[in-house]
Amino acid sequence: MLASLRPIERAGAAALGALAVAWVVGALLRRELFFDPVLFGLGSGAIIAALAIGLVVAFRASGVINFGHGAIATYVTYVYVSLVSDGQYPVPPLPNPVAPIEGIAGIEILDFPTFVSLGDSMGKVPALLIALATAAALGLVAHFAIFRPLRYAPVLAKVVASVGIMLFLQAAVVLRFGARAKATEPIFPNDPIDVLGARVGQDRLWVLGTVIVITAALWVLFRFTRFGIATRAGAENERFTTLLGFNADFQAGVSWVMASVLAGLVGILVAPITGVTPNFFTVLLISSLGAALLGRMSSFVIAAVAGLMLGIVDQELFRLELEWDWIPDIGIRRALPFVVIALAMVVRGESLPSRGALTVERLPEAVAPRITRGRVVGYGALIAVAFWLTVFAPFQYRGAMQNSMIGVILALSLVVVTGYVGQISLMQMALAGIGAFSVASFGTQAGVPLIPALTLAVASGVGFGLIAAIPSLRTRGASLAIITLASGLAIDEIFFRRTGWFGLDRIVKTTDPPELLGIEFGPNSGFVLSDGKIPTGGYGLFLLVVTALCCVAVMRLRRSRLGEQMLAVRANERAAAAAGVNVAAIKLSAFAVSSFFAALGGTLHAFNLGTYGHDSFGIFASLTVLAFAYLGGISTVGGAITAGTLFSEGIGIVVTNEWVIDVGPYTAYVAGFFLIGTAVYNNEGIDGFQRRQFHQLGAWLRRRWDRRVEVTADG
Amino acid sequence: MADAVLATSGLNVRFGGLLAVNDVTLECRRGRLTGLIGPNGAGKTTFIDAVTGFLPNNSRGSVLLEGEEVFGRSPHQLSHEGLTRTWQTLELFDDITVRSNLDVASRRLSLGAALLDYFRPRQRAERVEEVMDLLNLGDIAERQPRELSQGQRKLVGVGRALVAESSRILLLDEPAAGLDKAETEWFGAQLRGLVDQGYTMLLVDHDMGLVLNVCDYIHMLVYGQLTASGSPEEMRNDPEVIAAYLGHSGAES
Ligand SMILES: Nc1ncnc2c1ncn2[C@@H]1O[C@H](COP(=O)(O)OP(=O)(O)O)[C@@H](O)[C@H]1O
Ligand SMILES: [Mg+2]
Repeated sequence: MLASLRPIERAGAAALGALAVAWVVGALLRRELFFDPVLFGLGSGAIIAALAIGLVVAFRASGVINFGHGAIATYVTYVYVSLVSDGQYPVPPLPNPVAPIEGIAGIEILDFPTFVSLGDSMGKVPALLIALATAAALGLVAHFAIFRPLRYAPVLAKVVASVGIMLFLQAAVVLRFGARAKATEPIFPNDPIDVLGARVGQDRLWVLGTVIVITAALWVLFRFTRFGIATRAGAENERFTTLLGFNADFQAGVSWVMASVLAGLVGILVAPITGVTPNFFTVLLISSLGAALLGRMSSFVIAAVAGLMLGIVDQELFRLELEWDWIPDIGIRRALPFVVIALAMVVRGESLPSRGALTVERLPEAVAPRITRGRVVGYGALIAVAFWLTVFAPFQYRGAMQNSMIGVILALSLVVVTGYVGQISLMQMALAGIGAFSVASFGTQAGVPLIPALTLAVASGVGFGLIAAIPSLRTRGASLAIITLASGLAIDEIFFRRTGWFGLDRIVKTTDPPELLGIEFGPNSGFVLSDGKIPTGGYGLFLLVVTALCCVAVMRLRRSRLGEQMLAVRANERAAAAAGVNVAAIKLSAFAVSSFFAALGGTLHAFNLGTYGHDSFGIFASLTVLAFAYLGGISTVGGAITAGTLFSEGIGIVVTNEWVIDVGPYTAYVAGFFLIGTAVYNNEGIDGFQRRQFHQLGAWLRRRWDRRVEVTADG
Repeated sequence: MADAVLATSGLNVRFGGLLAVNDVTLECRRGRLTGLIGPNGAGKTTFIDAVTGFLPNNSRGSVLLEGEEVFGRSPHQLSHEGLTRTWQTLELFDDITVRSNLDVASRRLSLGAALLDYFRPRQRAERVEEVMDLLNLGDIAERQPRELSQGQRKLVGVGRALVAESSRILLLDEPAAGLDKAETEWFGAQLRGLVDQGYTMLLVDHDMGLVLNVCDYIHMLVYGQLTASGSPEEMRNDPEVIAAYLGHSGAES
């Protein structure tokens, strides 16, 4: 067994062994320092482990790393809590078909049900069954409506779809239950018991036991039953499964149901211990992703053990930080998932077992913009409208335009790295945050003038981006998505949540309005054309110039040699290398350009907000940016512009709210829904959709015209 | 020896317990079309991979490109050195145009060159137009590879390998697979034409027909080892070749 490991894996195993021995010795010497944390850590580790094995089930079923796994746990848990406490079953938020009429008429015609009452409050067992049935249904929908159609799709579409599930379900939870934490009655007996002299809540041990039993059961199921063996074959080669006499599709469906029931069960069992919030399990999921990666997304046992270890190490570090002052307080504990994922990448090598799908569908087309008269007129009109909205329109539109233009720049950062080079980055808002926090440090704190301060801040973002891009040289696809997500989390935890140069002043960060040549032009500064309302047009005007320049820059990139090489790398890395493309250099330059736009967007966002905290730049913000960028169209500048209008409080949203229907609270929910739809049915986003409509319209007009000419010629 | 563009000696590639390329020593002379035949799984593709820099870490041996040792360099460096290849599975850049496929491969892009090109948009690469004329790709220049026929796609693959400014030798991995008899003959004639213009090539194929017809000199690889070498006439009558082909793929095809 040891002989089959690679040298680096053997070294890792040896190091772990040594650490374990040292730990045991430590535990014998100082129990409270080295034993108690282990015991406590097992509780939280069990949750991580349980989510991790769920990830493995889903991956083995369909080769998808399900970023929505935590959200499934959350949703099912809330259903359970609601049933137990007031017997209410939540109706998934559905569009009210008469809402537009209601909006215009200003009356309420239809009171759309939000809950179905199933009696006063329900026993735990029926509630559990109903909740798990809901989980099973979610699994079926995930398989049949989303991942089955995506079988042959590029990894990007699968990642985006699962991010969509996450956003959608979390938004559904917030809509139905609010954002506050919920508690519920215990399921397991929870009086503390003594374990070797340490007192620990019994319920935690019950959860641990349950997880161990489930892991063992899955191991047996996948190792010894025909079902499991066929699933394993399926992960490698679909045709082979079919030969074994199994319906690959049925199998994947069953596995999805299992994965999601498992997620729900974990959520319900731990809810009484930890309470739940809408994003509790998704944050934990990042640790679970690390654990599952260590098991190469295929070993239940390694994933579970790694999950438990993560819980333990976390508790241990917590305890040691309290005990030993010399341990630097740099938030290393909260960056633990990142450390583990990075280690997993190094130790376990680059590749996840890939699914032997027969074909892979095409990536969204990165259309090269051509300069035609029609386009020049179109863009001219666009700029004119944007100019009017930014400077002259009523204040709410001016503000919305500012948000949208920043959104465009952030989306452009993804167009370059994800659209052109195919590298999935889930850390864009972390890079934006580096720009945002450091521009205040350089400018407001250190008194550096605007242009150098901006330059320094953006350069810092690029520096962080390049460091975080190093794994992209060895990994790609979903693994890269995971590590960038973890990088974003680490940056958030290590820098943004504490005071410092790249972090807060105290509880927030404040930046002075930008000033150039003695003229101040922040969102609230005076402006010649001001109507006395805030924001004034000056900052928007500045943004308009910057955004237009950024758009032109990316369009030119697409048409340049560098852009062509980027697309070659996206299409086929090996062939690109053989054709003389330095793939590593291209990836790094893409990350550099992308970080440039992200950090620039961040600094502009900082001036826009004036005062801001860490929450604008956390992982959920990054995921949302990816969502909007993909929805708009990930591989074109037009897509980024479209994405900008969709951003929260962006111009598209504000106009819709005022003129059509108030989507306000539903923004995230609707965005999640359409994100899934886009990933599954139209991977070119809104921009690609419009482009096709235009083409069809153009073709139709041309046909009409030709016919008329013919008719005239005949006559 | 002096006019060998490419010379390998003692090349070894191992996958786990399998020695896929076993001590292969061969050379490709300037202005010649050298053939490499062998049944499926003989290690031909692995040989090309090894020469062009796609090799597992445990590979050993020597690869001389016009006398210079290039073993162990990365694929893009080798491509800049003039060692270019096609792929058995084509591996075209499917979502950019045929012209862009060639453009990407046409010249080396240093950071400086990239910046210059970005700020002062390029002049059209003459080399690309030249190769497109040579292979008659003009009509399909603005189409994407996925819209083309298999034969056209193969030509694009060859064009992409030919277009490198510094191209010194071209390694072709089963370029005729999937073409019918007439297409194969036509394709062979095209290759021969290029060689007669002074290009140097290594043509890999498991099917002997094309190789025997167009090559100047032929090597045979069986289970990773070179078992026979000679002119087409010699190979036609070589008992090793006859055995390998009647024994293995003779039964197969
Ligand atoms: N990446 C790889 N890993 C393991 N074995 C491989 C790999 N590539 C090729 N092989 C094995 O090496 C041998 C030679 O393969 P290949 O070079 O593709 O043969 P050919 O091109 O002559 O048909 C085959 O047995 C094949 O299975
Ligand atoms: Mg081959």
